[in-house]
Amino acid sequence: MNWPPTILDLRIASSDRRPVRVWLPLFLLWPLALVLGVLALVFTTLADVVLLIFGQRYHHYTILLARSFAALNETRGMAIHITGSGAAVDLTVL
Amino acid sequence: MSEDRSRILNMLADGKITAEEAERLLDALDARGVSAAGPAESSIKGDPGPLLEALPKYLFVKVDSANGDKVDVKIPVALVRSGLKLTSLIPPQAMEQIDSSMSEHGMSIDFSNLKPEDINELVEALRETEISVDSENGDKVRVYCA
Repeated sequence: MNWPPTILDLRIASSDRRPVRVWLPLFLLWPLALVLGVLALVFTTLADVVLLIFGQRYHHYTILLARSFAALNETRGMAIHITGSGAAVDLTVL
Repeated sequence: MSEDRSRILNMLADGKITAEEAERLLDALDARGVSAAGPAESSIKGDPGPLLEALPKYLFVKVDSANGDKVDVKIPVALVRSGLKLTSLIPPQAMEQIDSSMSEHGMSIDFSNLKPEDINELVEALRETEISVDSENGDKVRVYCA
């Protein structure tokens, strides 16, 4: 499994304004995400157990959460570049 | 079992590569027919790096409109795979809403029928897919993996 994204590099340029470049340090959110992730895991595990006990067909919230986290980690390397009408936006996940 | 195949499985067992990397290598072997070439033409000599690097890792979507607007999107293939795997776990109630919303927009895809093996096949096929659209008004769309 990959590490979660560390930095979001956002560049905005337009013909009438100064270009702006922002590096958002996503790694600073990791501890918070870890705490929220653990709490969510506990909650989803309990929910899945209750759903299973009550015979519900769908009881996969824990796996859904884990897979969502894995998908989030795979966003590293994603880049979006949009240019049009005198403006450009660059978004890169590192 | 060919030498390459057993080498990949040994690397997986030794923890040198992940299960996903092993899967990609095996698929690459099948695709390139390396396994049929025999041990004399074996292309893997311990380090799987070069072969892994040769596999397309990103899906590119490039749109050049006639009026000068451009959109370039680079998506990791692993994200596509993870996203597709995620669809099979979406709660049925939410899936119904997604399906109805997509069919309203002309995309009748039933994601609930996607099986893990289908997803792997789909992603592997995506690696070799290239779509180029040139419209009459000059708009160009290109989708490919690299």
